[in-house]
Amino acid sequence: MSSSLDKLLENPRVWRGHHHAQRKAGLASGYPELDRYLPGGGWPPEALTEILTEQYGIGELRLLMPALARLSAEDPQSDCSEPGWIAWVAPPFQPYPPALQQSGIDLSRMLIVRPRDASEILWSAEQALSSGTCAAVLFWAEMLDDQASRRLQLAAEKGHSWAIAFRPMTARQQPSAAALRLELHSSAQGTRVHILKSRGGRPTVLNNLLNLSHHPA
Amino acid sequence: MSRVSASTGLRGAADAAPTPSASQQALPFVESAPPVKPLFCTPTPVQRLWFCIWLPGLPLEASRSSEGATAVIEEQQGIHRVLLADRQAEAAGVMAGQSANAALALLPTLQLEERSLLREQQALEALAGWLERFSSFVCIAGRDLLLLEIAGSLRLFGGLRPLREKISKGLRQHGFDASLAIAPTPLGATWLARAGRRVCIRAAQNLKRELRHLPLASLNWPEGIYASLTGMGVINIGDCLRLPREGFVRRFGAQYMLELDRALGNLPDPRNAWRAPERFCTDYEMTEETSDRELLLNICHELLLLHEQFLLARQLGTQRLSFSFFHLKGSATELRLGCARADRSAERWLELLRIRFNKLVLPVPVIAARLQSGMTQALQAESARLNFHTTAAGEARRYSIAQLAERLIARIGDQSVHSTTLVAEHRPQYAWRTQSLLSDWGSSTLSEARRHLRRPLWMLPEPVLLPADSGYPLHQGGRIRLLDGPERLETGWWDEEGISRDYYMAVNPAGIRLWIFRNRKRSSSWYLHGYFG
Repeated sequence: MSSSLDKLLENPRVWRGHHHAQRKAGLASGYPELDRYLPGGGWPPEALTEILTEQYGIGELRLLMPALARLSAEDPQSDCSEPGWIAWVAPPFQPYPPALQQSGIDLSRMLIVRPRDASEILWSAEQALSSGTCAAVLFWAEMLDDQASRRLQLAAEKGHSWAIAFRPMTARQQPSAAALRLELHSSAQGTRVHILKSRGGRPTVLNNLLNLSHHPA
Repeated sequence: MSRVSASTGLRGAADAAPTPSASQQALPFVESAPPVKPLFCTPTPVQRLWFCIWLPGLPLEASRSSEGATAVIEEQQGIHRVLLADRQAEAAGVMAGQSANAALALLPTLQLEERSLLREQQALEALAGWLERFSSFVCIAGRDLLLLEIAGSLRLFGGLRPLREKISKGLRQHGFDASLAIAPTPLGATWLARAGRRVCIRAAQNLKRELRHLPLASLNWPEGIYASLTGMGVINIGDCLRLPREGFVRRFGAQYMLELDRALGNLPDPRNAWRAPERFCTDYEMTEETSDRELLLNICHELLLLHEQFLLARQLGTQRLSFSFFHLKGSATELRLGCARADRSAERWLELLRIRFNKLVLPVPVIAARLQSGMTQALQAESARLNFHTTAAGEARRYSIAQLAERLIARIGDQSVHSTTLVAEHRPQYAWRTQSLLSDWGSSTLSEARRHLRRPLWMLPEPVLLPADSGYPLHQGGRIRLLDGPERLETGWWDEEGISRDYYMAVNPAGIRLWIFRNRKRSSSWYLHGYFG
């Protein structure tokens, strides 16, 4: 019985999710509970992450801040002489600099881009991702079709950058090339994080990740 | 002393500065013969005449932005002090050296301007550019000093007096209050101008007599030297010249003896002429009209290559370029490009041009194209990084952040791409400002985070009035629950936008965390100012 199973598994046409797990270590999110469910123990580096949310202000930035702060800080271990920039493309409101600095973001390495239309948003995000100077690129895109997400995924790989797309909940049904897709639902009790798709991982629901009282260290 | 006799011998070698032409230089002698004619027919020493313009009020004149009493302030040991005040302000008792607050107390309507050395330099350069019409040799001799060699210009302008009149009238029209002096040596003229002597000395022999009486203060020597000389009873230049040379050199340094010798014309005093920065402007004319974009792009490339050669020969670069496309009818189509760091590389400019050119609307065919460079500046070469361990990230770095910013700006505009910096201010809406990526490329001035303050990650551009239900604020139709607060911010009373607010952290029924406030004075309505994200 076991030998026939082994035989079957040796067949190259059989695809096993766990084997496909990324070899690269993830970017620690600062939320141990989330890291446990993410392959590589953190945010997928050099890849596209999609965050689907209906509203703003429910913790979508808080979720990212610890990882962004780490990217923004000087890393003496790396040979790369300077840390990368963080680009914000088409944010819905003004990212408030004093609060960002409190979260550990280096303001002198922050770029805010406000394109005028949807095609410029994608163009700007792609430019920033593939430039190789941005450690992370956050962008807010209403429209992001399969082809565009594939392009951005490639740009992120090329520029060794972390792409984060914020999209409305309606995008849930659309296919996407993102390595990770999260859905955020808010309620009076707190915000529920639902991992919809995770390359090399499994979909999960995390209920108590972004409680009102919870502040990441 | 053999100094005076030696001076005539040295004069020929004096002033390595280039002057207009030999025929022009001889001209002053036509108007009035030199006081002492040489007995022997030795070659006439080149006679120079220096016109010095001293602008003591330059900080004020360069930064004046409005009518009304104005004072320029400068930070000295952490305190803003008045550097210069105009007449109106002086009449109210504002004096140099006062603290800015004291000046404001004396005259509440006083306009305070921060001193800007850059603007002063720009004003000086603009003035030097204007003065080039009077002499081919204009020299910026200091922060507030301009020198002109005018011996060669006297006949063209009809003598010394008309020339002097023209210059002084022009200076007044430009809004500068200047002290002028003319002397055969540049330093002599400078000292006379600083001392406020409106004199015109044409013969070298008279110079010493005139300089003798100048107070030491007009020399602009360091305070210590000035103090010790005064302590010795030396109060003017004449006293200084009577001191034994060797002792003077030993005590104060050869540099000051050299200055005295140069001022008197005993030693040459070479100066560098200032030149207006050069610009590149070249046209490309076609034999027939075209709307072929590929062709136009090739023409632009050719112009850019010429531009690169031009700048390369001068070791210059530029941050701005403008292309004009001329049509047979109608006005020209303009296209401006900017880049973060001065550059001359045709390839890089072409890359920026391509991004913009695709969106350029050319209403009618083009007959000629022009490339004009902006202000040129000396190019700073950058040494390559010594990096033995080429990392993956290093290889991937295709271009710098400056280049990324240029590309973004080329397509979506200057206003839409920026970075931010903090401002030391309690009012939330003023606690930060945007920073252009092309001009002031500075780092954050406020480095330490104020960790104890709770601030939202999202800020609304303007506070939004929240509806209320019997005094309780509503958001998205539900009652807001306050979580933390109040944080009272009561500040800004000194200008029009003072605030007096109680800020709270709150949560709406859907779990969105809000940053809301209530005005303490005017009304009790609630406003939403940000989301905690």
